[in-house]
Amino acid sequence: MQVVQADVVVVGAGGAGLRAAIAAAEGDPKLRVALVSKVLPMRSHTVAAEGGAAGVTRDDDSLDSHFNDTVSGGDWLCDQDVVEYFVAHCHPELVQLEHWGCPWSRKDDGSVNTRFFGGMSVQRTWFAADRSGFHILHTLFQTSLKYPQIKRYDEFFCVDLIVDDGRVRGVLLIEIATGEMVFIESSAVVLATGGAGRVFRQNTNAGTVTGDGMGLAFRHGAPLRDMEFMQWHPTCLPGTGILMTEACRGEGAILVNKDGYRYLQDYGLGPVDPWPRAKAMELGPRDRLSQAFWHELQKGRTIETPQGPAVHLDLRHLGAKKIHERLPLISEAAKTFMGVDTVKEPIPVCPAVHYTMGGTYTNVRCETPLAGLYAAGECASVGIHGANRLGSNSLVEIVVFGRVAGESAADYARSARATQSVQAMAEASAASFNALLKNDQGERLATLRDEMRDAMETGVGIYRTADGMRAACHKLAQLRERYRRGVKLDDRARAFNTEWLGAIELGFMLEVAEALAHSALARRESRGAHMRLDGYEQRDDENFLKHTLAHRAGDGVPRIDYQPVTITKSQPRARHYGGAGKQAVMT
Amino acid sequence: MKTYTRPVTGTWWTRNGFYRWYMFRELSCVFITLYAFILLAGLYRLGQGPEAFLAWQAALASPASLAFHVVALVLVIYHSWTWFKIMPKTMPRLPVPDGAIVAGGVIAVIAVSAAFLWTALG
Amino acid sequence: MRSIVLECLRYDPETDAAPRWQNYDVPFTDDMSVLQGLQYIKDHLDGSLTFRWSCRMAICGSCGAMLNGEPRLGCENFLRDYYPGPLRVEPLNHFPIVRDLAIDQSDFLAKLESVKPYIIGEPPKGPYRQTPRQMEEYYQYSQCINCLLCYAACPQYGLNEKFTGPAALALLHRYNADSRDQGKRERMPVINQEDGVWGCTLVGYCSEVCPKGVDPARAVNQNKIESAKDYFFRFFRR
Repeated sequence: MQVVQADVVVVGAGGAGLRAAIAAAEGDPKLRVALVSKVLPMRSHTVAAEGGAAGVTRDDDSLDSHFNDTVSGGDWLCDQDVVEYFVAHCHPELVQLEHWGCPWSRKDDGSVNTRFFGGMSVQRTWFAADRSGFHILHTLFQTSLKYPQIKRYDEFFCVDLIVDDGRVRGVLLIEIATGEMVFIESSAVVLATGGAGRVFRQNTNAGTVTGDGMGLAFRHGAPLRDMEFMQWHPTCLPGTGILMTEACRGEGAILVNKDGYRYLQDYGLGPVDPWPRAKAMELGPRDRLSQAFWHELQKGRTIETPQGPAVHLDLRHLGAKKIHERLPLISEAAKTFMGVDTVKEPIPVCPAVHYTMGGTYTNVRCETPLAGLYAAGECASVGIHGANRLGSNSLVEIVVFGRVAGESAADYARSARATQSVQAMAEASAASFNALLKNDQGERLATLRDEMRDAMETGVGIYRTADGMRAACHKLAQLRERYRRGVKLDDRARAFNTEWLGAIELGFMLEVAEALAHSALARRESRGAHMRLDGYEQRDDENFLKHTLAHRAGDGVPRIDYQPVTITKSQPRARHYGGAGKQAVMT
Repeated sequence: MKTYTRPVTGTWWTRNGFYRWYMFRELSCVFITLYAFILLAGLYRLGQGPEAFLAWQAALASPASLAFHVVALVLVIYHSWTWFKIMPKTMPRLPVPDGAIVAGGVIAVIAVSAAFLWTALG
Repeated sequence: MRSIVLECLRYDPETDAAPRWQNYDVPFTDDMSVLQGLQYIKDHLDGSLTFRWSCRMAICGSCGAMLNGEPRLGCENFLRDYYPGPLRVEPLNHFPIVRDLAIDQSDFLAKLESVKPYIIGEPPKGPYRQTPRQMEEYYQYSQCINCLLCYAACPQYGLNEKFTGPAALALLHRYNADSRDQGKRERMPVINQEDGVWGCTLVGYCSEVCPKGVDPARAVNQNKIESAKDYFFRFFRR
């Protein structure tokens, strides 16, 4: 197989990966940075993010305010020292993106505009129309072209980490176009591979969001943290799950049920007036809004559409001008996929899985417990989101911690010692992936994959019960066994075999899904996005104010244990939204 | 990496309507060029004296020449139309909408042509 | 349930000397996109059918293909609009085929890199000031999702693969027109070369097929004036 050397390998070329690669290259013009991605960088799922990126900007805002919003938004499961670092570094990173050409939307005087977002007390979300992720990604990708030290491996699929003696030694890749294996020898690897939302059936995610990096780390002993916390975005098109950005609500849109009633007022987010108002009604946090939908569904107050139950997201009162200027992408999508003209009709929406709060555990320097392995972005659990992520904290997370991961990895690479070759390990690993191509018996990929997604949707959904979660765990164990017995591919070619890659992705997804389901079963309380209906409906700080860690246990079920949460300035208290307040001035 | 390159043949433009109209636009230039040569010939004959010029005029009245001129007229009109239609694409954004630029050009052509006709016939 | 036949152009570099057709009968509901039709084939009929896709919402640019001879995105075009069919599905024109509907994108990536698509110049301490009016000058050109439909549309690119092409030149213009950038001088050689803007004969099909309204034809052709100015005034530059 082809063997190459690099100082730092970044796996994943979305926002976090590109930022990490740029940070590593900027620090040292002689550093060899390999940027590996299974798709072209501009196809990464960062491109679909819409709403914006938060950073304390206005004079009437403060780091404490952003800190408090984030910690309470996370239902106090956040590591507060990390959140303090995070909020202090958001604004500089947003300015950096602006310097690199990101077309942030502006006020008339030419300064950057900010808008309200769910769970945020003050307008601090920078936005580029409703295509913020698209613009951030393209800005980062195009800027990365300035750095000749970054060598890109476009459409190379990372199938394994090569780890020897507890230290990372490199990555094993499949060159997708040819099916040939490539081993990149490196002592520092940054995982920036995104979330795992595709383990559920209805989700906003791209086909690439299959938890690959989480699976890679997990297989080599790095634990997955807080996996039970999956975010359902409350406003997505039924059926496809296509995202209708929170920014709609940031601009003043409302949610009504089949009776035209703004139902959120029944769920602790009211009163209705004055509207709009920070952290109230439709500007509440995502977990609360998705949970409200579930209750409306139980009460029979949702609207039936051919693609399933929905409520109405009404933008009409915003007016055509504002809609076309601030929300053009979702207007187009509503028209294309649902035939809805947002100026004249409300959009049918329902919750869909959107974001993975959990991931590979890292400290504030993006270090995982595995020496030389770093992680940033949605694939990591650095400690800022806790049990529920606030919208617009993720697009800024990827650049804040993307930079940290790149710098940390580069520092480590400079101090690493050269040791003997591990090519034999790479060859052995390659053999196991090549074997997948040759199975003559087994089940269809789609069968196993769809059964997994249905099991997750049913057993580990917005509201959970012990029975449901146990059934899901049981099913996942069965699926993993069936997967081990064999997936039979139609496609036996080596060149550009996406069915083969799909089978490898399924392997990662099954392990990540199992970690998720077991973590959920073990958490006997309700907090943030993890809600139970089986006697554990309340938050239990006494027993569960701690992070869940899922460890791989060979072929058996994951071993669950716990890790304390770091509390500094903000003692856990009840989570309040809605209530009285002034009407917000929209910008 | 082994790839397959599909050849592009000389009939590429027959593949869809957009391409066919494009080639028709380009073809119109041929007829405009030919017409320009006829006018130049007229100018040359004018320089050679009144009989030469009258002979040129008589030649223009032949059936073959009339047929050519009808075709050329259609193509010149099509050419002018497409010329103005794509003109906004050659300019930076202007305070005037694109449609106004196209309309302005077309109206100017009609106005100038009308003026010539009126002078010639009147 | 209705069904439609998809005629797909297949090519396996390991076993095929040339591309061949294969037909699939796809049952569909009214809300199914062409991409979902291809996914149905891959999941249930023939797992070897190979195509790129990702976001499913026309923002990642992965799923471009020729649908009945027109360059389109599979995710935002619907099977119901091609009924009764058959629907001919081929890889994007003017690119070498790697496998089935997956084309070789490397030439485009090289062109993208060649236009220096990044802000050139020293930034101020805080954010630049840029009014909404200034942003309008370049914003539409920043909408490009790199889907390559314009390259599949452009006959000049089809006849001459050295032509820089619509999307790359539109991106070049996006940076030149951005008030924060000072790299116009550095990018002129790309504009001025024979395969730069002068390779374009304003067919205009690129702007017609662009799913994002970027209007690359305009980006390219405005720069012909810039190029001419640059040529004629070169003696006055010091």
